[in-house]
Amino acid sequence: MLDRDADIVIIGSGAGGGTAANALAPLCAHGARVVLLEAGPKLRAEEFTGREVEMAKRLYVDEGGFLTEDRTMTMAFGRAYGGSTVVYTGTSLTITEPTLERWAVPGLTHADILERSRKYLEQNHVHLLAASDINDNNRLFEEGCRRLGYRVEQFPLNLDGCRGAGLCNLGCPNGAKMGTHRVQLPEAERQGVVVVTNCRVDRIEERAVVATVTERGFGEPSAWAPGEYRIRAKAIVVAGGAIGSPALLLRSALAARLPALGRYFTCHPALILVAQHDRPITNSHGHPKSYYCDHFAESDGFLLESCMYFPFTTAKSLTGFGAEHSRMMSAMDRLQMILVLAIDPPDAGNRVMVDREGHPVVRYAFTDGVKHSLVQAMRASARVFFAAGAARVHAPASSRFFIDAADADRIDELIPFDGLQLGKVTISSAHPMGGCRMGASPDDSVTDAWGQVHGLPWLFVADASLFPRCAEINPYVTIMALADRVAERVRREWPQLRAHAS
Amino acid sequence: MGALTNTQRQLLVCLAVRVVPESASMAGAPRAQMLSLIEEALAARPPAMQRQFGLFLTVLRWAPLLRYLRPLDRLGPRRQDAVLRWVQDCPLQAVRSGFWGVRTLIFIGYYGRPDAGSSIAYTPSRNGNAVLHARSRR
Repeated sequence: MLDRDADIVIIGSGAGGGTAANALAPLCAHGARVVLLEAGPKLRAEEFTGREVEMAKRLYVDEGGFLTEDRTMTMAFGRAYGGSTVVYTGTSLTITEPTLERWAVPGLTHADILERSRKYLEQNHVHLLAASDINDNNRLFEEGCRRLGYRVEQFPLNLDGCRGAGLCNLGCPNGAKMGTHRVQLPEAERQGVVVVTNCRVDRIEERAVVATVTERGFGEPSAWAPGEYRIRAKAIVVAGGAIGSPALLLRSALAARLPALGRYFTCHPALILVAQHDRPITNSHGHPKSYYCDHFAESDGFLLESCMYFPFTTAKSLTGFGAEHSRMMSAMDRLQMILVLAIDPPDAGNRVMVDREGHPVVRYAFTDGVKHSLVQAMRASARVFFAAGAARVHAPASSRFFIDAADADRIDELIPFDGLQLGKVTISSAHPMGGCRMGASPDDSVTDAWGQVHGLPWLFVADASLFPRCAEINPYVTIMALADRVAERVRREWPQLRAHAS
Repeated sequence: MGALTNTQRQLLVCLAVRVVPESASMAGAPRAQMLSLIEEALAARPPAMQRQFGLFLTVLRWAPLLRYLRPLDRLGPRRQDAVLRWVQDCPLQAVRSGFWGVRTLIFIGYYGRPDAGSSIAYTPSRNGNAVLHARSRR
C-alpha cells in the first residue's frame, strides 16, 4: 500500500464534493494540501457520444439501474468527474421555507440556505430558456396544466451555450450544462486542489482514507497510478452521495456509534408516463425538461415534470410487452412524456446497508401513502396529456395498455389503486437523499447542522445524505448550499483541526 | 461476455420475439448485437444476481410443463404470451420482478442498439435547437 499525506481529503466530486472542493480551494494558497477522490472517470469531450447504453455504462453506477434490495425500484446516480451533475437536466430550484421547516434541524435556517443557493444559481448561470427554445413536448405539458387549472412553472436551468441536444441525462455532448465538472471543479483545480479520478474509497480510518485507483480504459488517466493508497488527512469530507456516503461510513465500522447511519433514506420514487399524439411533435430536439407542476405537492404528495427519454429508458418505462408496446415505441416522434415524483416520508426502516463485500444495499419499502401518490399522479398526468390533445395514454398501473381519448372521463376507473403492482411497474429514482441526516442528537442523526459527524471533529459529510427528509424538489441546489455550509465550518475550524492533527 | 449459456441465449431470442415482435426479423449481426448488449448488461451485475437470473430463466422455461406439457420455447405464440402475462401479473412479487428483469434486458438488447433509433423516429442531433427552430418555421 502506498502512503500519501494531505491536509483535507474530499470524497466525491458531485454537487456536494465539487462545491466543497471549490469552497475549500482558497486554503491551498495558505499551504493546505486538498485532495479530492472521485470513483468515476473524467471523460474526454469526444467521449460524450449521446449513445444511450454506452453513456450509461460510462457515467452511471450500474448503468443507471442500481436495484433496491427487493428489486422493486431502480436508482440512477452518476459516477464521474462531476458526479450526478454530469447527468442531471440542470433544473435549478431552491428549497422552500415550509420544506425546510419540516426538516426541523436546529440551527439550520431557510434564510441561510437561500443566500447560499443564490450564490450558486449565479455561479452556474441559471436562467429561464427562451420561448423559442421550448419544444412541443414541454409546451404541451404547460398548456395541458393551464387548461386544467394546475399551477405550472418554468424550470430555471444552469445552461451556458445549450444547443438543445436533448441528451442531458447522458452527459451533454456540447458541454453546456454548468455542473461541478464545468464550474466548481476546474476552478478548484486551478487554485491547487488535486483531483484523483477512478479512485474508489474503501474505508475511512482515524484521520486517514484507504482507497484504490484503477484504470477504466476510457476517460483521462487518473492523477495517481493504479494501486492501493492510504491517505492521511487532518479533515475528511465525505460527499459520495446518499448511497455512497452511508455505505462508506458503514464499511468504516462507524455504525456502532451512529445508530441512525444509513437510515431515513428517501428518494422521490418516480414513474415515466407516456402519451401518443396522432401527429409528430418536437420532443427529442431541444432541452428535455422545461416545466414542472407542484399543484399537488401539499395535497397529494407528488410533483409532475415534463421530460423526454431515450429508446431503452422509454421502452423499460412502459408496462407490458408485445404488439401494443411496439406500437407505442414505433413512432417516438409522436410521444409526449411526464415524469411523476412522489414526496416520500422519512422512515427509519428505509435504509442504506452494506453486504458482506461492502457493496451498498438499499432497503426501501413503499408506504401506502407513496403508492397512493403515484396512482394519483398517473391520473393527473393522464388528464394533462388529454388536455394537451394526446390521442392515447399509457399509464403503468392501468388495466389497459392504452387509454384512448374517448375514455378520458374514465381515468379514475381505468387507473385503479391496486394496479400499481410492485415488481411489474417500472419505478425509478434519481434523487437519493438521507442516510447521514443532520440533527441534534446521535440517537436519530449522523451529523450536526454543519455536517460534522457526531463525536468525530475531523469527519464531515457534505451531500444529499445530510437531508433529514426529502427535498420535495430537484435537490442539487440545496446540496450545493449545504456543502457550502460544511466547507465554511471546515474553514472556520481549520486552525484547530491542523493543530490537533500535528 | 459469457454470462449466458447457449440454451439461455436461445430462450432469450425466443422471448425477445414475444416482447419485441420486430426482433423476429433480426438475424446475423443485429441479433448478435442484441445478445451481446444483454450479456454485457448481465455481466456487469453481481455474480449472485447473474445466478438468480439464470435460475429464473430455467424456471420460466419449464413452468409451462405443468399445464401444457411442453417447455415455454416449444409452445405456440398465443400460449407463450399467456404464460408471460401470467408471470408478469403473478401474485408473488419476486416472480414479477424476475420477469421485469428479463423484459428489461431484452429492451436493452433491442432498443439499446445504436441503430435502433432511426427505425422508431428517434433522431437526436447535437444541434437540436436548429432542428427545432427549422420545424417551427414550417
